[in-house]
Amino acid sequence: MLIAPAPLLLLAGFARPADDTRHDAPARMSEDPANPRPADDPAEELARLVQAMAGGDRAALARLYDLLGGPLHALALRVLNDSAEAPDIVHDAFLQLWRKAGDYEPARGSVFAWAATLVRNRAIDRVRTRKRRTEILHGSAAEILPAAVGDSDAADRLGLAEQAGAVRAALAALAPEQRTALELAYFGGLTQQEISARLNEPLGTIKARIRRGLLRLRETLPARP
Amino acid sequence: MITARHEELAALHALGLLEGADRTAFEAELTAEPELRAFAGNLAELTAILALLAPSAAPPPGLKERILASAAAPAPEKMVSFQPLRLLPWAAAAGLAFAVAWLSFQNLSLRRDNEALRTGRELAETAYRMARNQLAERTLLAERMINDLGLRLARQEDLTRLKVTALAALAGDTKEAQAIAVWDPEQQTGLLTVEKMPALATWQDYQIWVVDPARENPVSGGVFTVTPGGRATLAFKPDQPVTQATAFAISREKKGGVPKAEGPVLLLGQ
Repeated sequence: MLIAPAPLLLLAGFARPADDTRHDAPARMSEDPANPRPADDPAEELARLVQAMAGGDRAALARLYDLLGGPLHALALRVLNDSAEAPDIVHDAFLQLWRKAGDYEPARGSVFAWAATLVRNRAIDRVRTRKRRTEILHGSAAEILPAAVGDSDAADRLGLAEQAGAVRAALAALAPEQRTALELAYFGGLTQQEISARLNEPLGTIKARIRRGLLRLRETLPARP
Repeated sequence: MITARHEELAALHALGLLEGADRTAFEAELTAEPELRAFAGNLAELTAILALLAPSAAPPPGLKERILASAAAPAPEKMVSFQPLRLLPWAAAAGLAFAVAWLSFQNLSLRRDNEALRTGRELAETAYRMARNQLAERTLLAERMINDLGLRLARQEDLTRLKVTALAALAGDTKEAQAIAVWDPEQQTGLLTVEKMPALATWQDYQIWVVDPARENPVSGGVFTVTPGGRATLAFKPDQPVTQATAFAISREKKGGVPKAEGPVLLLGQ
């Protein structure tokens, strides 16, 4: 698999100059999408790829898969915990990116955030459908294992252990109860009420933990536009 | 200005935890407030980074080719031969029809949403008015709870928190019975009003149950009797904490009630 070096936080649209979010520059994918010039801003490269995809450039889609296929598959697998279903989710998400590329507006968020949201939402829908089916069959809620941040993560696949380490360190610096609430919300696909029940804490406490946890991450990670 | 409430809502929104009216209201605020919109967008980007913490898992071989093959499949509309001049009137008509259909659908959706919100509010207000009228001679404690609920009902933001449930009759002799339960999940209290319930034998009580998916059995909310006219109002507090009240049920039990429902369930509402 062709993996381009791309700073993790830049990939996700972080640490960009404030006036650099419009991506007004014309697309360069028509030059040679499969072998693009070295990207000084991976978020911009992703935006250019999506712009080229909007014009029907399948090489741009292939390149986007090379960059994001691994992390998105890891995300789907983490949410679903099912290696048979995860590729289907990734397949559908990439098709959605392909078909809706023309609707993408950089000002509304990074390509990475868009793609991750697509995968996560689809995976969570699948989990909730599965859970409803289990509840009907067994009359009890399905167990969703708490998240465990692994030694090796999706970002490492991009050769970015250092930057990924920064994100992991930021998460590790949170109070354990804040980290658990964020992990259950992001990977577990639980509702506020379900997190409250799972952790046996009042709903207000859960909301406060999520708010403080995300704000703390925001302070810890590098500057954003 | 970003308040603590904005921060909380933006965090929940970024994680997809805002639902229903809360989400609609917050997204309306986002539309109106650029500073809040930027803040919420920033948190959404931050949330996406959490995806990279998933343990590494390489996609299966062939997935890329499968995606590219699916992308290469011609879209149905591209298979139709293109004859612009002949199709122009039809295209215009189809476009117009589509626009009308789309606008109608949007209009219908908005009306339905609006109607649902209005119905919810009217139902809550009706329940409150019924309870207020019928509780005039009740105990001071019950009246204080009603007033408390009424004050909360007056605040739009609290309306969304209260769960109002109309219970439907299941058994034959309660066909005309009407019951409404209002539930406050934060206070763990509820208010039940019933009308046209059949009279009870002297050795019987009605018992209200709260169905909580987190518990194996429904949680008892207490027992009550009805007036000769079949009316009753009950301010109840379940004897165990309720995580999520998904349904309410009323059963007929022996005097004093039972820890686990034994008698017939007469009314049920979800």
